[in-house]
Amino acid sequence: MAKIDLSNISHSYNQNDPNPVYALNPFSMTWENGNRYAILGPSGCGKTTMLNIVSGLVRPSAGRILFDDKNVTDLITEDRNIAQVFQFPVIYNTMTVYENLAFPLKCRNFSKNKTDERVNSVAETLNLKSFLNSPARKLTADQKQLISLGRGLVREDVAAVLMDEPLTVIDPDLKFRLRRNLKEINEQYKTTLVYVTHDQNEAMTFADNIIVMSEGEVVQTGSPKELFERPNTTFVGYFIGSPAMNLFESEASSNNSVKINNILIKTQTNLSNLKTKNIKLGIRSEFIKIAQNQNENLVDVNVEKVEDLGNYKLITAKMGNFTIKSKVNRETEIPNQKLKLHIPAEKCCIYEDNKLI
Amino acid sequence: MNKFYIFLKYFFIIIWTVFVVAPFLWALTTSFKDFQSVNAGVTYIPWIDFEPNLEGWKVLIKSPAKGGVDIVEPYFNSLFVTCTASLISIILGTLSAYALSRYTFKAGFVKNNDITFFFISQRIMPPIVLSIPFFLFLSAINLLDSLVGLIVVYIVLLMPIAVWIMVDFFNKVPREIDETALIDGCNPYQAFLKVVLPNSIPGLIVAGMFCIIFGWIDFFFAFILTFTEVQLLPVKIVALNSSVTPWWSLSASALVSVAPLIIVAFIVERYLSKGNLSGAIK
Repeated sequence: MAKIDLSNISHSYNQNDPNPVYALNPFSMTWENGNRYAILGPSGCGKTTMLNIVSGLVRPSAGRILFDDKNVTDLITEDRNIAQVFQFPVIYNTMTVYENLAFPLKCRNFSKNKTDERVNSVAETLNLKSFLNSPARKLTADQKQLISLGRGLVREDVAAVLMDEPLTVIDPDLKFRLRRNLKEINEQYKTTLVYVTHDQNEAMTFADNIIVMSEGEVVQTGSPKELFERPNTTFVGYFIGSPAMNLFESEASSNNSVKINNILIKTQTNLSNLKTKNIKLGIRSEFIKIAQNQNENLVDVNVEKVEDLGNYKLITAKMGNFTIKSKVNRETEIPNQKLKLHIPAEKCCIYEDNKLI
Repeated sequence: MNKFYIFLKYFFIIIWTVFVVAPFLWALTTSFKDFQSVNAGVTYIPWIDFEPNLEGWKVLIKSPAKGGVDIVEPYFNSLFVTCTASLISIILGTLSAYALSRYTFKAGFVKNNDITFFFISQRIMPPIVLSIPFFLFLSAINLLDSLVGLIVVYIVLLMPIAVWIMVDFFNKVPREIDETALIDGCNPYQAFLKVVLPNSIPGLIVAGMFCIIFGWIDFFFAFILTFTEVQLLPVKIVALNSSVTPWWSLSASALVSVAPLIIVAFIVERYLSKGNLSGAIK
């Protein structure tokens, strides 16, 4: 277990080219010991590269990695004492399940008793106990992935367990249980867990800190609540939450209000230092409600469709040429055509050049 | 329609089987014939068509002094040369294939694929092109007409096959397996030996089979690079053919020379049918 510092890390797979393309732009970050982190982003945004840099499979083009303030940038993978689980099950086909789980301990010369104890305890957690003596290749895909996971968890002293979309091949029911197991393991052993995913629900339910990435850039780090309520960029607002954040092109009209289609919307953001006119107002559809008796921040909309999604209703409506989405209780009666919606000032986020101000 | 299809299928299978088996049957019956029976035309049923005798077989193990042809020594020479050369080719070929599959090499415009192609190109070349260089090379290091010289040449011929098959095989073994082994605490050598290699046994068997077959059946280089000291089986069999062709011993020795390949084929076939080859890595 260790605190992991990534300082000014960047990476390009074609460094020697005259115009290198950076898979990972320079960033710095600290992963505290014993926390759960999720790295979230669309495919190809550099998540896996980041993990491989931490585990040592990839050497960063620039920057330093510190484990507990010790520089490990030049240390090879086997000396870093890290565990990594890949997206698809990687098992040692020629070994039994027990041998698979014991392999990391065997490579590091753990005693027979200790190995036995650890393997049994991990097998218990992952429901693999009854398979311990069967050949690993005979298991189903999700059981194989459990073995991969188990090999990651079998050592107690690892600096961190890195997981690269580990639950993709596992069926939803088991997925849910495993996520909880991972959380328990983290709470029990205080192992730092880093979890790469492109599924926001997975990230939100698993981690206490989420790192959002886009095109090789770390866009925002924070708790699920922060990411949800105050997205740093329009990308985060768009990427996190379902439906995506409502975003409207707008213009500033005073120090703390903007105009959308000539409707004045008050916000709690100071707009006196704007440099450009390119500003957007973002608001979560969860916060937009049907107007009751408020007298400002009201917009008139034409309802286009109402979807009943079980636990809530999603209203899609037109406000001039903008589309606005609002989530309301499913009991709410929704009038046919015209509707007044209320946009609460304290929940408005203003973006200048797609960045939060 | 369905019946017609089945009929057609079996029809062609039977034709093919006859096509493959007939020469063997011919050789088998001929090996038990004497001069008169051979000249009496193609017949297949012993005791009715012809009177079988074991002369053709006995001659194979008699020494030349007693009027035999003695293929025992060439037989073991062939076994020794083929197995040694195959083994060394597989070891060297597997190591280079692993390197070519996992690491990036670059020397000017030459990259991994070019190196792999270089190996294969050795087999694209007509063997006759290589005969004179090999002859000069072996005579320069004094290994003409020796088992060691033949082994050296066979390694050159067989290693490309091993490299070619194994590169393809290793490319199909996911890189994550190596990476996982590294993360689990192996060094790169342990990762190769303990994890990648055991997973590659099917590939090794296929490569080994090809090496053994190509080594065993080679006549050309065995013929050019040996004279009197050392003889390999294919050369010996061809040398049996004198002014009066001894069809019976020729047939018998041909059958004996095919035998090891049939055994290899049976073993490998069993392995293949277990499904171990295709399902090794998923």
